[in-house]
Amino acid sequence: MKRINDALVGLVTVAVVVALVVAVTWVRQADIGRHQRTVVARFRDVGNARVGNAVVIRGVVGGRIEGIELGETGWVDVRMKLDPTVRLPRDPVVLLNESSLFGEWQATIVEREALPADDVVQREIAAATVPGDRLPGASLPGIGKLTAVAGQIAGDVATVAGRVEVAFDDSAARELRGSFRNVAELSSTLAKVVRSHASDLDTLSRQLSGVIGSLDRATRTVEVTAQRVDSATTSPEMRNIVTDLSVGAVELRRTATQVRTLSDRFAASQGHLDVLLANGDSILVKINAGRGSLGLLVNDPTMYYRTDSLVAQLRALAADIQANPKKYVSVRIF
Amino acid sequence: MGTVTALAGVGAAVRRALSAVGAAARFGGDVVVSSRDYLTWFPQAFQQAWRLGIGSLPLALFISAFTGIVLALLASYSFTGAVPLYFVGTLVEKTITLELAPVLTGLALAGRVGANIAAELGTMRITEQIDALETLGYDPLAFLVVPRIIAGVTMFPVVVGAAMLVGVGAGWIASVLLLHLSTPEFVKGLRLFFQTFDVQYGLVKSASFGLAVTAIGSRRGLSTQGGAEGVGRAATSAVVYSAIFILVLDAFWAVTWLLGHEVSR
Repeated sequence: MKRINDALVGLVTVAVVVALVVAVTWVRQADIGRHQRTVVARFRDVGNARVGNAVVIRGVVGGRIEGIELGETGWVDVRMKLDPTVRLPRDPVVLLNESSLFGEWQATIVEREALPADDVVQREIAAATVPGDRLPGASLPGIGKLTAVAGQIAGDVATVAGRVEVAFDDSAARELRGSFRNVAELSSTLAKVVRSHASDLDTLSRQLSGVIGSLDRATRTVEVTAQRVDSATTSPEMRNIVTDLSVGAVELRRTATQVRTLSDRFAASQGHLDVLLANGDSILVKINAGRGSLGLLVNDPTMYYRTDSLVAQLRALAADIQANPKKYVSVRIF
Repeated sequence: MGTVTALAGVGAAVRRALSAVGAAARFGGDVVVSSRDYLTWFPQAFQQAWRLGIGSLPLALFISAFTGIVLALLASYSFTGAVPLYFVGTLVEKTITLELAPVLTGLALAGRVGANIAAELGTMRITEQIDALETLGYDPLAFLVVPRIIAGVTMFPVVVGAAMLVGVGAGWIASVLLLHLSTPEFVKGLRLFFQTFDVQYGLVKSASFGLAVTAIGSRRGLSTQGGAEGVGRAATSAVVYSAIFILVLDAFWAVTWLLGHEVSR
Protein backbone atom coordinates (compact mmCIF):
# COMPACT_ATOMS: atom_id res chain seq x y z
CA MET A 1 0.00 0.00 0.00
CA LYS A 2 2.80 2.36 0.94
CA ARG A 3 4.56 1.57 -2.32
CA ILE A 4 1.43 2.33 -4.29
CA ASN A 5 1.10 5.66 -2.50
CA ASP A 6 4.69 6.54 -3.35
CA ALA A 7 4.06 5.66 -6.97
CA LEU A 8 0.94 7.79 -7.02
CA VAL A 9 2.80 10.75 -5.53
CA GLY A 10 5.49 10.40 -8.18
CA LEU A 11 2.93 9.95 -10.93
CA VAL A 12 0.93 13.01 -9.94
CA THR A 13 4.06 15.11 -9.55
CA VAL A 14 5.43 14.10 -12.92
CA ALA A 15 2.04 14.53 -14.56
CA VAL A 16 1.58 18.03 -13.18
CA VAL A 17 5.10 19.06 -14.15
CA VAL A 18 4.69 17.68 -17.66
CA ALA A 19 1.29 19.32 -18.03
CA LEU A 20 2.67 22.64 -16.88
CA VAL A 21 5.62 22.45 -19.26
CA VAL A 22 3.37 21.50 -22.17
CA ALA A 23 0.91 24.26 -21.35
CA VAL A 24 3.59 26.93 -21.04
CA THR A 25 5.20 25.78 -24.27
CA TRP A 26 1.88 25.86 -26.06
CA VAL A 27 0.90 29.28 -24.74
CA ARG A 28 4.29 30.73 -25.60
CA GLN A 29 4.03 29.19 -29.08
CA ALA A 30 7.56 27.92 -28.64
CA ASP A 31 8.97 25.75 -31.41
CA ILE A 32 10.91 22.97 -29.71
CA GLY A 33 13.75 21.70 -31.82
CA ARG A 34 13.46 24.50 -34.37
CA HIS A 35 16.35 26.88 -34.52
CA GLN A 36 14.98 30.36 -34.27
CA ARG A 37 16.78 33.33 -35.72
CA THR A 38 17.78 36.18 -33.44
CA VAL A 39 17.66 39.74 -34.70
CA VAL A 40 18.78 42.74 -32.68
CA ALA A 41 17.52 46.25 -33.26
CA ARG A 42 18.54 49.42 -31.48
CA PHE A 43 16.32 52.24 -30.39
CA ARG A 44 16.54 55.52 -28.60
CA ASP A 45 13.39 54.67 -26.65
CA VAL A 46 11.26 51.54 -26.59
CA GLY A 47 8.09 53.13 -25.23
CA ASN A 48 5.90 50.50 -23.58
CA ALA A 49 7.31 47.55 -25.53
CA ARG A 50 7.81 44.51 -23.31
CA VAL A 51 9.39 41.11 -23.50
CA GLY A 52 6.97 38.75 -25.20
CA ASN A 53 5.38 41.33 -27.49
CA ALA A 54 4.78 40.16 -31.04
CA VAL A 55 7.11 40.86 -33.95
CA VAL A 56 5.03 41.52 -37.05
CA ILE A 57 6.12 41.40 -40.68
CA ARG A 58 3.59 42.53 -43.27
CA GLY A 59 0.83 42.07 -40.69
CA VAL A 60 1.78 38.51 -39.78
CA VAL A 61 3.25 37.57 -36.41
CA GLY A 62 6.69 36.18 -37.16
CA GLY A 63 8.29 36.14 -33.74
CA ARG A 64 8.51 37.57 -30.24
CA ILE A 65 10.57 40.14 -28.41
CA GLU A 66 13.01 38.05 -26.40
CA GLY A 67 14.90 40.71 -24.49
CA ILE A 68 15.20 44.45 -23.94
CA GLU A 69 18.52 45.70 -22.64
CA LEU A 70 20.32 48.99 -22.25
CA GLY A 71 22.98 49.11 -24.92
CA GLU A 72 25.59 51.69 -25.79
CA THR A 73 25.25 55.13 -24.33
CA GLY A 74 21.81 56.42 -25.11
CA TRP A 75 20.62 53.30 -26.94
CA VAL A 76 18.38 50.36 -26.10
CA ASP A 77 18.93 46.96 -27.72
CA VAL A 78 15.84 44.89 -28.45
CA ARG A 79 16.48 41.21 -29.13
CA MET A 80 13.85 39.48 -31.25
CA LYS A 81 13.42 35.79 -31.97
CA LEU A 82 12.04 35.16 -35.43
CA ASP A 83 10.62 32.01 -36.93
CA PRO A 84 13.13 30.32 -39.23
CA THR A 85 10.79 30.62 -42.20
CA VAL A 86 10.50 34.39 -41.88
CA ARG A 87 12.39 36.39 -44.50
CA LEU A 88 13.30 39.92 -43.64
CA PRO A 89 12.46 42.58 -46.22
CA ARG A 90 15.21 44.36 -48.13
CA ASP A 91 16.92 47.04 -46.04
CA PRO A 92 14.75 46.32 -42.95
CA VAL A 93 14.00 48.72 -40.13
CA VAL A 94 11.99 48.11 -36.95
CA LEU A 95 9.16 50.24 -35.63
CA LEU A 96 7.73 49.87 -32.14
CA ASN A 97 4.11 50.85 -32.06
CA GLU A 98 0.86 50.23 -30.22
CA SER A 99 -1.16 47.45 -31.76
CA SER A 100 -4.35 48.27 -29.88
CA LEU A 101 -5.87 50.89 -27.66
CA PHE A 102 -5.13 48.88 -24.56
CA GLY A 103 -1.41 49.25 -24.16
CA GLU A 104 -0.53 46.30 -26.34
CA TRP A 105 2.69 46.99 -28.30
CA GLN A 106 4.38 45.22 -31.13
CA ALA A 107 7.56 45.44 -33.19
CA THR A 108 6.91 45.87 -36.89
CA ILE A 109 9.67 45.10 -39.39
CA VAL A 110 9.28 47.08 -42.61
CA GLU A 111 11.37 48.21 -45.53
CA ARG A 112 13.10 51.52 -45.10
CA GLU A 113 11.22 52.84 -48.14
CA ALA A 114 7.91 51.98 -46.48
CA LEU A 115 8.57 54.16 -43.44
CA PRO A 116 5.83 56.65 -42.60
CA ALA A 117 6.47 60.18 -43.87
CA ASP A 118 7.33 61.48 -40.42
CA ASP A 119 10.44 63.59 -39.97
CA VAL A 120 10.98 62.45 -36.39
CA VAL A 121 10.80 58.77 -37.33
CA GLN A 122 13.04 59.28 -40.34
CA ARG A 123 15.62 61.06 -38.19
CA GLU A 124 15.49 58.36 -35.51
CA ILE A 125 15.99 55.65 -38.10
CA ALA A 126 18.87 57.54 -39.70
CA ALA A 127 20.52 58.04 -36.31
CA ALA A 128 20.08 54.38 -35.38
CA THR A 129 21.59 53.10 -38.61
CA VAL A 130 25.00 51.59 -38.02
CA PRO A 131 27.10 49.17 -40.02
CA GLY A 132 26.68 45.59 -38.90
CA ASP A 133 23.81 43.27 -38.08
CA ARG A 134 21.87 45.59 -35.81
CA LEU A 135 18.73 46.90 -37.40
CA PRO A 136 17.83 50.54 -36.95
CA GLY A 137 14.65 51.17 -35.00
CA ALA A 138 12.28 53.89 -33.94
CA SER A 139 9.26 53.99 -31.67
CA LEU A 140 6.05 55.61 -32.75
CA PRO A 141 4.13 57.71 -30.23
CA GLY A 142 1.57 55.79 -28.22
CA ILE A 143 -2.10 56.50 -27.94
CA GLY A 144 -1.50 58.07 -24.54
CA LYS A 145 1.01 60.53 -25.92
CA LEU A 146 -1.23 61.37 -28.87
CA THR A 147 -4.17 61.83 -26.55
CA ALA A 148 -2.11 64.12 -24.34
CA VAL A 149 -1.09 66.21 -27.37
CA ALA A 150 -4.69 66.30 -28.59
CA GLY A 151 -5.79 67.39 -25.14
CA GLN A 152 -3.20 70.14 -25.13
CA ILE A 153 -4.35 71.32 -28.55
CA ALA A 154 -7.95 71.30 -27.39
CA GLY A 155 -6.96 73.38 -24.37
CA ASP A 156 -5.14 75.88 -26.60
CA VAL A 157 -8.15 76.12 -28.89
CA ALA A 158 -10.38 76.73 -25.89
CA THR A 159 -8.04 79.48 -24.70
CA VAL A 160 -8.05 81.14 -28.12
CA ALA A 161 -11.83 80.85 -28.32
CA GLY A 162 -12.12 82.49 -24.90
CA ARG A 163 -9.89 85.35 -25.96
CA VAL A 164 -11.85 85.83 -29.18
CA GLU A 165 -15.01 85.91 -27.13
CA VAL A 166 -13.53 88.65 -24.93
CA ALA A 167 -12.26 90.66 -27.91
CA PHE A 168 -15.48 90.41 -29.95
CA ASP A 169 -17.74 92.78 -28.01
CA ASP A 170 -20.66 95.02 -29.26
CA SER A 171 -18.43 97.74 -30.73
CA ALA A 172 -16.43 95.14 -32.64
CA ALA A 173 -19.69 93.74 -33.98
CA ARG A 174 -20.83 97.22 -35.12
CA GLU A 175 -17.47 97.86 -36.79
CA LEU A 176 -17.71 94.52 -38.46
CA ARG A 177 -21.20 95.31 -39.75
CA GLY A 178 -19.90 98.68 -41.11
CA SER A 179 -17.05 96.86 -42.78
CA PHE A 180 -19.53 94.50 -44.39
CA ARG A 181 -21.56 97.48 -45.74
CA ASN A 182 -18.40 99.07 -47.15
CA VAL A 183 -17.47 95.84 -48.79
CA ALA A 184 -20.97 95.62 -50.32
CA GLU A 185 -20.73 99.15 -51.77
CA LEU A 186 -17.27 98.44 -53.10
CA SER A 187 -18.48 95.30 -54.75
CA SER A 188 -21.41 97.10 -56.45
CA THR A 189 -19.05 99.78 -57.79
CA LEU A 190 -16.78 97.12 -59.10
CA ALA A 191 -19.76 95.46 -60.78
CA LYS A 192 -20.65 98.70 -62.58
CA VAL A 193 -17.09 99.14 -63.79
CA VAL A 194 -17.03 95.62 -65.00
CA ARG A 195 -20.33 96.04 -66.88
CA SER A 196 -19.12 99.25 -68.57
CA HIS A 197 -15.94 97.64 -69.75
CA ALA A 198 -17.49 94.37 -70.59
CA SER A 199 -17.94 95.14 -74.34
CA ASP A 200 -14.35 96.38 -74.66
CA LEU A 201 -13.14 93.37 -72.89
CA ASP A 202 -15.31 91.25 -75.14
CA THR A 203 -13.80 92.80 -78.30
CA LEU A 204 -10.35 92.51 -76.92
CA SER A 205 -10.94 88.95 -76.03
CA ARG A 206 -12.26 88.20 -79.56
CA GLN A 207 -9.18 89.82 -81.09
CA LEU A 208 -7.02 87.92 -78.73
CA SER A 209 -8.89 84.81 -79.70
CA GLY A 210 -8.23 85.57 -83.40
CA VAL A 211 -4.58 86.18 -82.73
CA ILE A 212 -4.39 83.02 -80.80
CA GLY A 213 -6.11 81.22 -83.68
CA SER A 214 -3.61 82.65 -86.14
CA LEU A 215 -0.80 81.66 -83.87
CA ASP A 216 -2.33 78.25 -83.63
CA ARG A 217 -2.54 77.91 -87.42
CA ALA A 218 1.00 79.19 -87.83
CA THR A 219 2.13 76.74 -85.24
CA ARG A 220 0.38 73.95 -87.06
CA THR A 221 1.94 75.05 -90.36
CA VAL A 222 5.34 75.12 -88.79
CA GLU A 223 4.63 71.78 -87.28
CA VAL A 224 3.56 70.36 -90.65
CA THR A 225 6.65 71.87 -92.30
CA ALA A 226 8.81 70.44 -89.62
CA GLN A 227 7.16 67.10 -90.13
CA ARG A 228 7.74 67.35 -93.85
CA VAL A 229 11.34 68.36 -93.37
CA ASP A 230 11.65 65.55 -90.94
CA SER A 231 10.07 63.07 -93.37
CA ALA A 232 12.10 64.52 -96.27
CA THR A 233 15.34 64.17 -94.43
CA THR A 234 14.51 60.61 -93.69
CA SER A 235 13.33 59.74 -97.31
CA PRO A 236 15.56 57.81 -99.80
CA GLU A 237 15.30 60.63 -102.39
CA MET A 238 16.87 63.01 -99.98
CA ARG A 239 19.54 60.49 -99.30
CA ASN A 240 20.22 60.28 -103.09
CA ILE A 241 20.31 64.06 -103.35
CA VAL A 242 22.80 64.22 -100.56
CA THR A 243 24.84 61.51 -102.27
CA ASP A 244 24.71 63.41 -105.58
CA LEU A 245 25.67 66.59 -103.81
CA SER A 246 28.60 64.78 -102.32
CA VAL A 247 29.66 63.55 -105.76
CA GLY A 248 29.16 67.08 -107.21
CA ALA A 249 31.25 68.51 -104.40
CA VAL A 250 34.03 66.10 -105.25
CA GLU A 251 33.88 67.07 -108.92
CA LEU A 252 33.70 70.73 -108.03
CA ARG A 253 36.74 70.25 -105.86
CA ARG A 254 38.54 68.64 -108.83
CA THR A 255 37.45 71.48 -111.21
CA ALA A 256 38.66 74.03 -108.70
CA THR A 257 42.01 72.30 -108.71
CA GLN A 258 42.15 72.50 -112.49
CA VAL A 259 41.10 76.14 -112.46
CA ARG A 260 43.80 76.77 -109.92
CA THR A 261 46.35 75.15 -112.33
CA LEU A 262 45.06 77.22 -115.23
CA SER A 263 45.25 80.30 -113.13
CA ASP A 264 48.87 79.55 -112.35
CA ARG A 265 49.61 79.10 -116.02
CA PHE A 266 47.75 82.23 -116.86
CA ALA A 267 49.83 84.06 -114.24
CA ALA A 268 52.97 82.77 -115.98
CA SER A 269 51.64 83.85 -119.40
CA GLN A 270 50.80 87.22 -117.95
CA GLY A 271 54.45 87.55 -116.90
CA HIS A 272 55.59 86.78 -120.41
CA LEU A 273 53.04 89.24 -121.78
CA ASP A 274 54.29 91.88 -119.33
CA VAL A 275 57.82 91.35 -120.63
CA LEU A 276 56.54 91.46 -124.22
CA LEU A 277 54.62 94.66 -123.60
CA ALA A 278 57.64 96.18 -121.89
CA ASN A 279 59.77 95.34 -124.93
CA GLY A 280 57.07 96.69 -127.27
CA ASP A 281 56.84 99.79 -125.23
CA SER A 282 60.59 100.39 -125.43
CA ILE A 283 60.43 99.86 -129.22
CA LEU A 284 57.58 102.32 -129.53
CA VAL A 285 59.49 104.79 -127.36
CA LYS A 286 62.44 104.42 -129.70
CA ILE A 287 60.17 104.78 -132.71
CA ASN A 288 58.60 107.89 -131.22
CA ALA A 289 62.03 109.23 -130.44
CA GLY A 290 62.91 108.75 -134.09
CA ARG A 291 65.65 106.34 -133.39
CA GLY A 292 66.39 103.46 -135.69
CA SER A 293 65.18 102.83 -139.17
CA LEU A 294 61.53 102.48 -138.22
CA GLY A 295 61.76 105.64 -136.11
CA LEU A 296 63.23 107.53 -138.96
CA LEU A 297 60.64 106.06 -141.27
CA VAL A 298 57.81 107.11 -138.96
CA ASN A 299 59.16 110.50 -137.96
CA ASP A 300 61.08 111.68 -141.17
CA PRO A 301 58.77 112.78 -144.07
CA THR A 302 61.65 112.60 -146.42
CA MET A 303 61.92 108.98 -145.94
CA TYR A 304 58.19 108.68 -146.59
CA TYR A 305 58.43 110.53 -149.76
CA ARG A 306 61.38 108.56 -150.94
CA THR A 307 59.62 105.39 -150.14
CA ASP A 308 56.53 106.64 -151.95
CA SER A 309 58.68 107.56 -154.91
CA LEU A 310 60.25 104.14 -154.81
CA VAL A 311 56.85 102.54 -154.75
CA ALA A 312 55.81 104.65 -157.73
CA GLN A 313 58.93 103.66 -159.60
CA LEU A 314 58.33 99.99 -158.75
CA ARG A 315 54.70 100.27 -159.93
CA ALA A 316 56.03 101.85 -163.21
CA LEU A 317 58.61 99.13 -163.55
CA ALA A 318 55.98 96.45 -163.03
CA ALA A 319 53.81 98.04 -165.70
CA ASP A 320 56.73 98.20 -168.05
CA ILE A 321 57.58 94.59 -167.48
CA GLN A 322 53.97 93.64 -168.15
CA ALA A 323 54.12 95.69 -171.33
CA ASN A 324 57.50 94.68 -172.53
CA PRO A 325 58.36 91.35 -171.00
CA LYS A 326 60.97 90.55 -173.57
CA LYS A 327 62.84 93.58 -172.42
CA TYR A 328 63.42 92.09 -169.20
CA VAL A 329 62.97 88.32 -169.72
CA SER A 330 64.78 86.26 -172.43
CA VAL A 331 63.98 82.64 -172.79
CA ARG A 332 66.41 80.51 -174.68
CA ILE A 333 66.29 76.91 -175.55
CA PHE A 334 69.56 75.31 -176.16
CA MET B 1 4.03 53.66 39.92
CA GLY B 2 1.63 53.58 36.98
CA THR B 3 4.43 54.54 34.61
CA VAL B 4 6.57 51.72 35.87
CA THR B 5 3.71 49.27 35.42
CA ALA B 6 3.15 50.46 31.85
CA LEU B 7 6.84 50.19 31.04
CA ALA B 8 6.90 46.73 32.55
CA GLY B 9 3.96 45.73 30.37
CA VAL B 10 5.69 47.00 27.26
CA GLY B 11 8.86 45.25 28.22
CA ALA B 12 7.05 41.99 28.86
CA ALA B 13 5.35 42.22 25.49
CA VAL B 14 8.65 42.87 23.72
CA ARG B 15 10.27 40.04 25.58
CA ARG B 16 7.48 37.65 24.62
CA ALA B 17 7.68 38.75 21.00
CA LEU B 18 11.43 38.39 20.92
CA SER B 19 11.14 35.13 22.78
CA ALA B 20 8.71 33.85 20.16
CA VAL B 21 11.03 35.00 17.36
CA GLY B 22 13.97 33.43 19.09
CA ALA B 23 12.08 30.18 19.66
CA ALA B 24 11.02 30.12 16.00
CA ALA B 25 14.59 30.78 14.89
CA ARG B 26 15.87 28.07 17.19
CA PHE B 27 13.23 25.73 15.84
CA GLY B 28 14.28 26.55 12.26
CA GLY B 29 17.92 25.94 13.09
CA ASP B 30 17.08 22.61 14.74
CA VAL B 31 15.09 21.55 11.66
CA VAL B 32 17.99 22.40 9.38
CA VAL B 33 20.31 20.40 11.60
CA SER B 34 17.89 17.48 11.68
CA SER B 35 17.52 17.49 7.92
CA ARG B 36 20.97 15.96 7.71
CA ASP B 37 19.45 12.74 9.04
CA TYR B 38 17.97 11.86 5.68
CA LEU B 39 17.73 8.18 6.46
CA THR B 40 15.11 9.07 9.03
CA TRP B 41 13.03 11.63 7.14
CA PHE B 42 13.33 10.38 3.55
CA PRO B 43 11.01 7.34 3.92
CA GLN B 44 8.48 9.49 5.72
CA ALA B 45 8.57 12.25 3.11
CA PHE B 46 6.64 10.27 0.48
CA GLN B 47 3.93 9.40 2.94
CA GLN B 48 3.58 13.03 3.94
CA ALA B 49 3.63 14.04 0.26
CA TRP B 50 0.71 11.75 -0.33
CA ARG B 51 -1.22 13.07 2.64
CA LEU B 52 -0.42 16.76 2.22
CA GLY B 53 -0.20 16.96 -1.56
CA ILE B 54 -2.22 14.32 -3.32
CA GLY B 55 -4.83 14.32 -0.60
CA SER B 56 -5.27 18.05 -1.02
CA LEU B 57 -5.60 18.00 -4.82
CA PRO B 58 -9.41 17.65 -4.96
CA LEU B 59 -9.94 20.60 -2.67
CA ALA B 60 -7.39 22.77 -4.52
CA LEU B 61 -8.77 21.86 -7.95
CA PHE B 62 -12.33 22.47 -6.83
CA ILE B 63 -11.43 25.94 -5.56
CA SER B 64 -9.40 26.73 -8.65
CA ALA B 65 -12.08 25.59 -11.10
CA PHE B 66 -14.74 27.79 -9.56
CA THR B 67 -12.28 30.66 -9.28
CA GLY B 68 -11.56 30.42 -13.01
CA ILE B 69 -15.25 30.39 -13.87
CA VAL B 70 -16.04 33.36 -11.65
CA LEU B 71 -13.04 35.30 -12.94
CA ALA B 72 -14.16 34.88 -16.54
CA LEU B 73 -17.66 36.06 -15.70
CA LEU B 74 -16.37 38.97 -13.63
CA ALA B 75 -14.06 40.01 -16.44
CA SER B 76 -16.83 40.02 -19.01
CA TYR B 77 -19.02 41.96 -16.58
CA SER B 78 -16.29 44.57 -16.08
CA PHE B 79 -15.33 44.88 -19.73
CA THR B 80 -18.81 45.86 -20.95
CA GLY B 81 -18.24 47.36 -24.35
CA ALA B 82 -15.10 49.33 -23.64
CA VAL B 83 -12.57 46.50 -23.65
CA PRO B 84 -12.43 43.65 -26.19
CA LEU B 85 -13.78 40.44 -24.74
CA TYR B 86 -10.65 38.48 -25.59
CA PHE B 87 -8.99 40.24 -22.66
CA VAL B 88 -10.93 37.75 -20.52
CA GLY B 89 -8.21 35.24 -21.38
CA THR B 90 -5.51 37.70 -20.34
CA LEU B 91 -7.18 38.47 -17.04
CA VAL B 92 -7.89 34.84 -16.22
CA GLU B 93 -4.32 33.76 -17.00
CA LYS B 94 -2.62 36.59 -15.13
CA THR B 95 -4.87 36.43 -12.10
CA ILE B 96 -4.87 32.66 -11.76
CA THR B 97 -1.15 32.06 -12.27
CA LEU B 98 0.20 35.06 -10.43
CA GLU B 99 -2.15 35.32 -7.49
CA LEU B 100 -5.28 33.30 -7.00
CA ALA B 101 -4.03 29.78 -7.57
CA PRO B 102 -1.09 30.13 -5.14
CA VAL B 103 -2.86 32.21 -2.50
CA LEU B 104 -6.28 30.51 -2.45
CA THR B 105 -4.68 27.09 -2.58
CA GLY B 106 -2.25 28.13 0.13
CA LEU B 107 -5.04 29.39 2.35
CA ALA B 108 -7.09 26.27 1.76
CA LEU B 109 -4.13 24.06 2.52
CA ALA B 110 -3.31 26.17 5.55
CA GLY B 111 -6.65 25.08 6.97
CA ARG B 112 -6.40 21.53 5.88
CA VAL B 113 -2.70 20.77 6.19
CA GLY B 114 -1.66 23.24 8.88
CA ALA B 115 -4.45 22.25 11.22
CA ASN B 116 -3.85 18.59 10.50
CA ILE B 117 -0.14 18.80 11.30
CA ALA B 118 -0.71 20.89 14.44
CA ALA B 119 -3.41 18.58 15.71
CA GLU B 120 -1.45 15.43 14.94
CA LEU B 121 1.81 16.61 16.49
CA GLY B 122 -0.06 18.24 19.38
CA THR B 123 -1.80 14.99 20.15
CA MET B 124 1.52 13.17 19.99
CA ARG B 125 2.97 15.74 22.31
CA ILE B 126 0.30 15.54 24.94
CA THR B 127 0.18 11.75 24.74
CA GLU B 128 3.96 11.67 25.20
CA GLN B 129 4.54 9.79 21.96
CA ILE B 130 7.21 12.32 21.07
CA ASP B 131 8.92 11.68 24.38
CA ALA B 132 8.76 7.99 23.54
CA LEU B 133 10.44 8.64 20.19
CA GLU B 134 13.21 10.50 21.94
CA THR B 135 13.53 7.65 24.37
CA LEU B 136 13.86 5.23 21.45
CA GLY B 137 16.63 7.36 20.03
CA TYR B 138 14.69 8.98 17.24
CA ASP B 139 15.09 12.64 16.51
CA PRO B 140 11.44 13.88 16.61
CA LEU B 141 12.30 16.76 14.25
CA ALA B 142 13.90 14.46 11.67
CA PHE B 143 11.12 11.90 12.05
CA LEU B 144 8.07 14.18 12.26
CA VAL B 145 8.87 17.73 11.10
CA VAL B 146 11.45 17.50 8.32
CA PRO B 147 9.41 15.09 6.13
CA ARG B 148 6.34 17.28 6.51
CA ILE B 149 8.27 20.41 5.57
CA ILE B 150 9.94 18.66 2.63
CA ALA B 151 6.56 17.38 1.49
CA GLY B 152 5.01 20.81 1.87
CA VAL B 153 7.75 22.60 -0.05
CA THR B 154 7.69 20.07 -2.89
CA MET B 155 4.00 19.26 -3.10
CA PHE B 156 2.53 22.74 -2.72
CA PRO B 157 3.94 23.79 -6.15
CA VAL B 158 2.59 20.57 -7.63
CA VAL B 159 -0.87 21.22 -6.25
CA VAL B 160 -0.74 24.89 -7.26
CA GLY B 161 0.51 23.97 -10.75
CA ALA B 162 -2.45 21.68 -11.20
CA ALA B 163 -4.70 24.40 -9.82
CA MET B 164 -3.31 26.83 -12.41
CA LEU B 165 -4.10 24.44 -15.25
CA VAL B 166 -7.59 23.70 -13.96
CA GLY B 167 -8.33 27.35 -13.20
CA VAL B 168 -7.36 28.59 -16.64
CA GLY B 169 -9.11 25.66 -18.25
CA ALA B 170 -12.29 26.37 -16.29
CA GLY B 171 -12.10 30.03 -17.31
CA TRP B 172 -11.70 28.94 -20.90
CA ILE B 173 -14.70 26.63 -20.79
CA ALA B 174 -16.80 29.27 -19.02
CA SER B 175 -15.82 31.86 -21.64
CA VAL B 176 -16.81 29.58 -24.49
CA LEU B 177 -20.03 28.27 -22.95
CA LEU B 178 -21.29 31.26 -21.01
CA LEU B 179 -19.75 34.28 -22.71
CA HIS B 180 -19.93 32.93 -26.29
CA LEU B 181 -16.27 33.80 -26.68
CA SER B 182 -14.57 31.70 -29.33
CA THR B 183 -11.60 29.54 -28.44
CA PRO B 184 -9.19 31.47 -30.75
CA GLU B 185 -10.24 34.72 -29.09
CA PHE B 186 -9.68 33.35 -25.59
CA VAL B 187 -6.32 31.91 -26.63
CA LYS B 188 -5.37 35.24 -28.21
CA GLY B 189 -6.02 36.99 -24.90
CA LEU B 190 -4.28 34.17 -23.04
CA ARG B 191 -1.14 34.57 -25.12
CA LEU B 192 -1.24 38.34 -25.29
CA PHE B 193 0.76 39.12 -22.16
CA PHE B 194 1.77 35.63 -21.07
CA GLN B 195 5.28 35.13 -19.77
CA THR B 196 6.96 32.08 -18.33
CA PHE B 197 7.74 34.26 -15.37
CA ASP B 198 4.06 34.21 -14.40
CA VAL B 199 4.20 30.47 -13.77
CA GLN B 200 7.63 30.58 -12.14
CA TYR B 201 6.49 33.30 -9.79
CA GLY B 202 3.36 31.40 -8.77
CA LEU B 203 5.23 28.15 -8.18
CA VAL B 204 8.05 29.68 -6.14
CA LYS B 205 5.52 31.59 -4.08
CA SER B 206 3.54 28.43 -3.43
CA ALA B 207 6.73 26.64 -2.31
CA SER B 208 7.28 29.36 0.25
CA PHE B 209 3.67 28.97 1.35
CA GLY B 210 4.22 25.24 1.76
CA LEU B 211 7.26 25.93 3.90
CA ALA B 212 5.35 28.40 6.05
CA VAL B 213 2.25 26.23 6.52
CA THR B 214 4.13 23.03 7.44
CA ALA B 215 6.68 24.79 9.62
CA ILE B 216 4.03 26.74 11.51
CA GLY B 217 1.83 23.65 11.91
CA SER B 218 4.76 21.60 13.18
CA ARG B 219 5.91 24.34 15.54
CA ARG B 220 2.42 24.87 16.96
CA GLY B 221 1.91 21.12 17.30
CA LEU B 222 5.22 20.48 19.05
CA SER B 223 4.61 23.31 21.47
CA THR B 224 1.14 22.08 22.44
CA GLN B 225 0.42 22.11 26.12
CA GLY B 226 -2.53 20.79 28.05
CA GLY B 227 -5.10 18.31 26.84
CA ALA B 228 -7.55 18.33 23.97
CA GLU B 229 -8.11 22.01 24.50
CA GLY B 230 -4.42 22.65 23.91
CA VAL B 231 -4.59 20.63 20.72
CA GLY B 232 -7.51 22.71 19.53
CA ARG B 233 -5.68 25.92 20.34
CA ALA B 234 -2.61 24.65 18.51
CA ALA B 235 -4.66 23.77 15.43
CA THR B 236 -6.44 27.08 15.44
CA SER B 237 -3.30 29.12 15.92
CA ALA B 238 -1.56 27.11 13.22
CA VAL B 239 -4.29 28.00 10.73
CA VAL B 240 -4.35 31.64 11.76
CA TYR B 241 -0.59 32.08 11.69
CA SER B 242 -0.31 30.19 8.42
CA ALA B 243 -2.91 32.41 6.78
CA ILE B 244 -1.18 35.52 8.07
CA PHE B 245 2.19 34.29 6.90
CA ILE B 246 0.79 33.41 3.49
CA LEU B 247 -0.48 36.93 3.01
CA VAL B 248 2.74 38.44 4.34
CA LEU B 249 4.83 36.25 2.06
CA ASP B 250 2.53 37.13 -0.85
CA ALA B 251 3.26 40.81 -0.27
CA PHE B 252 6.94 40.07 0.27
CA TRP B 253 7.28 38.30 -3.09
CA ALA B 254 5.28 41.00 -4.83
CA VAL B 255 7.56 43.73 -3.53
CA THR B 256 10.87 41.94 -3.88
CA TRP B 257 10.38 39.89 -7.07
CA LEU B 258 7.31 40.95 -9.01
CA LEU B 259 8.08 44.64 -8.71
CA GLY B 260 11.75 44.06 -9.50
CA HIS B 261 10.84 42.00 -12.55
CA GLU B 262 8.45 44.70 -13.76
CA VAL B 263 11.16 47.35 -13.39
CA SER B 264 13.92 45.32 -15.03
CA ARG B 265 12.05 44.13 -18.13
